[in-house]
Amino acid sequence: MSSFRIALRVLRTDRRTRTSALLIALGVAVATGLVLLLVSLPGATEARADRAAWQLNAVPSSVSDRPVGDPTIQHAESEDVTPDGQKIDRVDVAALADPSDITLPPGIDRLPGPGETLMSPALAEIVDATPGSQLGERYGERVGELGDEALAFPEQLVALVGHTPDEMPANAVELGGFLPAGEGPDMLLSLLAGVGVVVLTVPSLVLIASAARLIAARREQRLAVFRLAGATPRQVISMVAAETTIAAAAGALLGLAISPLLHHLATLVPWDGGTWQASDFELGVVPTVAIVVGVPLLVLLAAVLGLRRVLSAPLGAVGGHTPKPLHWWRLLPLPLSAAMFAYFVSEADSEIEAMLIMVSMAMIIFSINLAGPWITALVGKAFSRGWRRPSGLLAGRRLTEDPRGAYRATAGVALAVFTGAMALTVLPSLESLSGASREYADGVQYVQGEGADLQRIAGETNDRLARYGQSERAVVVGEAYLGAGDRQDEYVKVVDCRGAEQVLPIDMRGACEGTPGVYAPYPLTGGELSLAGMPGEPGTALGDVPVRPVEERGDAAYSTVVVDSAVVPDDLELSYRTVAVPSTAANSDVVRTALAAASHGAQIESREVRLASQEGELGDVRRVTVIGLTVAALLGGCSAAIATAGSVMDRRRTFGALIAAGTPVRVLARALRAEAGLPAFIATAGAGIAGTFVGVGLFSLLDDGDAVVTPWLAAPIVLGLVVALIASSVCTPALNRVRSEPLSDE
Amino acid sequence: MTTRISHTPPRSATVARPGLGARGLVKRYGTETALSGVDIDITPGEAVAIVGPSGSGKSTLLHVLAGILPADSGEVTLGGRRIDTLGEAARSELRRTEFGFVFQSGMLVAELTAEENVALPSLLAGTGRAAALADAQGWLARLGLEGKERNRPGELSGGQAQRVAIARALAHRPSVIFADEPTGALDTRTGGETMRALLDSAAECGAAVVLVTHDRELAASLPRTVTIRDGRIESDTRAGSVTAS
Repeated sequence: MSSFRIALRVLRTDRRTRTSALLIALGVAVATGLVLLLVSLPGATEARADRAAWQLNAVPSSVSDRPVGDPTIQHAESEDVTPDGQKIDRVDVAALADPSDITLPPGIDRLPGPGETLMSPALAEIVDATPGSQLGERYGERVGELGDEALAFPEQLVALVGHTPDEMPANAVELGGFLPAGEGPDMLLSLLAGVGVVVLTVPSLVLIASAARLIAARREQRLAVFRLAGATPRQVISMVAAETTIAAAAGALLGLAISPLLHHLATLVPWDGGTWQASDFELGVVPTVAIVVGVPLLVLLAAVLGLRRVLSAPLGAVGGHTPKPLHWWRLLPLPLSAAMFAYFVSEADSEIEAMLIMVSMAMIIFSINLAGPWITALVGKAFSRGWRRPSGLLAGRRLTEDPRGAYRATAGVALAVFTGAMALTVLPSLESLSGASREYADGVQYVQGEGADLQRIAGETNDRLARYGQSERAVVVGEAYLGAGDRQDEYVKVVDCRGAEQVLPIDMRGACEGTPGVYAPYPLTGGELSLAGMPGEPGTALGDVPVRPVEERGDAAYSTVVVDSAVVPDDLELSYRTVAVPSTAANSDVVRTALAAASHGAQIESREVRLASQEGELGDVRRVTVIGLTVAALLGGCSAAIATAGSVMDRRRTFGALIAAGTPVRVLARALRAEAGLPAFIATAGAGIAGTFVGVGLFSLLDDGDAVVTPWLAAPIVLGLVVALIASSVCTPALNRVRSEPLSDE
Repeated sequence: MTTRISHTPPRSATVARPGLGARGLVKRYGTETALSGVDIDITPGEAVAIVGPSGSGKSTLLHVLAGILPADSGEVTLGGRRIDTLGEAARSELRRTEFGFVFQSGMLVAELTAEENVALPSLLAGTGRAAALADAQGWLARLGLEGKERNRPGELSGGQAQRVAIARALAHRPSVIFADEPTGALDTRTGGETMRALLDSAAECGAAVVLVTHDRELAASLPRTVTIRDGRIESDTRAGSVTAS
């Protein structure tokens, strides 16, 4: 009889083997589906980026197919926002050649002429529902819509605005045509996908291992009998391979079958402002086949490697064995890798150290899994000595006897808790940093640029503001470098005093009442004041101007020294200038419209928009973290549940005898719940502490401040515990199952 | 030649023990009938062997008498009180207080020591650690297992493990001990010693013994043998008399 036929017969006749095979298949299906999804993420972001490539004018040098030849268009890219804070991608373009000679990207059927605009359907809908002064008048006349092939995601808000070349903003770039290829994969999402492959695949593999453990003892005995009956190691291996292949191959095919469903669900998860097109997650045939074949192959390899004992000592396998005690040295790698991580974090200033940080992080995860069983055994010993109730005795002895097995059940949860604790340490800390500093006062919207064009922008903005009935007016702010004795090249802003009062984060403290001068929040002493347009240039003396004290408001990002434009020497040319307009919550959209219409695509900044953008990015990471944690917790919970059921099944005859002798199922279940809950507690608490430690370390790479401690840090631990306790709740149904089976059925 | 193991109701058993009885027991597994109208009475302190070929229904009879399995029809009484109509919780309590069980392979908890295995039912019933362990040590000593209290089941011989199981079954001083092939995995000499330990200890407590075995020789060593075939009692033999059913 062939190995395959034996495997089929065992599957047909043994219910427990069937259950195990079904669970293995499910585990492989989940792993395959998740890996297929996660591996497709970088490609999905690339597909998005390629569709939206025409919206950009600067791509990394790694992208080789930049259009060459004579410039045919001028192109400016900027970000805008709708009145309700949604991001708009704005592209301003002017033809430098005959428009019919310019190759248009897919989804764009014509190049808008001066004063014309093409909009994405989603933006057009918002424009139609919003007063023109709040949104629509930022753009020209709408002459058409952009197709899906021109949008990063279906609901992207994009405007393609046409101009004459001389209307284009200072930041416009001349190109040989629209860029055909994007920036490549989104690095952040690619990184998260990589983390996801580990964080989600490991619990899947733990689930598979737990399912395999359901029948491990029985299978070992069966195979040992085959060995004793004369089967060669090769024959035994092929039997296991056949048994595992049936389950794993079915699981991989199931994973492939559910993959479109997972991909569909993934298209609904927003990232970087929007959802996805279904085609984004398409994976090539080669990687798909590699994954569908590779995952079951890994499972097969693990199953065959697990046969070492049967192959080397079949009698030992039949007769059972005593696990070797765990050594204390299992604890050593944890402090060592933690120390390595702390050292590399404190010394990180090169790519090599960044790589070493990643390596030490991986070592911490490895160390947790190495130390976990030892700590589990330690706790087991403590319980074995100090038990007062039978639940403590049973749990303690079980943990002491098989700490690896007890810990293994919760290894998946532990990894998810580690990653979650790390993410939840970094995220609130990053949130605390976002928008902490400001260059202009809150509510001020501003455009940066060069030359006289800014005077035009200011003039046109003021005309529109007047037309819209607004009292606010644009202020032109210059930038220069002040010298005062030992202090040279101090970056300062040049603006009249009233303007500074309106747009800068400074309390002028009545300074505008006196004669114009220099306004500084700290004393400027040590010599004559001079002003230069660029750092390092010889300054022009300001002469005898008064220096008046002012006070910073909030966390100013830059120097808040202000030189009144009235005292700037006439011959001094300032290179960089800004047009800034104050606005209130009530009129910020109108002010933005006035500024945007005049700016022709120059980027309009404001602290609020920057905060919203940062919040959006953090929101993306937070969303992905929560989804990843939830999936990992579900997988970990399933693993723990299966492992618990397996441990009950392993001792079914003993428990059956105890139940037969009148021990209530609820009493036994209580003991088993403690047995399942204890290692879960150890694993989750340890992983949570380690994750927080690593999170604090990673945050210190970004900022010297203290990481923010929030109650959310406890969430992964609580989640892990709840999952483990839910998983351990299978004890009662498993024991009921034992009770319903005849005692002699084994 | 058979050595009859003496089993006399103990004079020291001052507590009146209830007798076990069954009338018209029927039990089916799907379309197969395991018990087909079985009547049996077991007096307090009596030792009865139930024999029969494989699949005759002897283990099913033991499980139904012990309240582990419900009968499809018929009744089971203990001390004249019907126990087959009790709910699962009450039957569990009955098994915990009135019955003791010894199975073929001992079915000990591998992680626990011999004394902890013996103490486990008491502990699960709420007895304190010290009292339960002290009692367990006493039973192990009575069964000749001094010095083995801290040994795990894996460190005991088959006979010793079965004696631990017997100690566990007796620790709460039951009225009836149900033993399902308790010597099936032991050699003849060890099996005989184990049976002697079981019957002597049961007699000491005044407990009746219901022994299921396919070993005719072992059955003949008990004062009463009930032969069961195809779910019916074929014969009921007492020392000196035979009753055909």
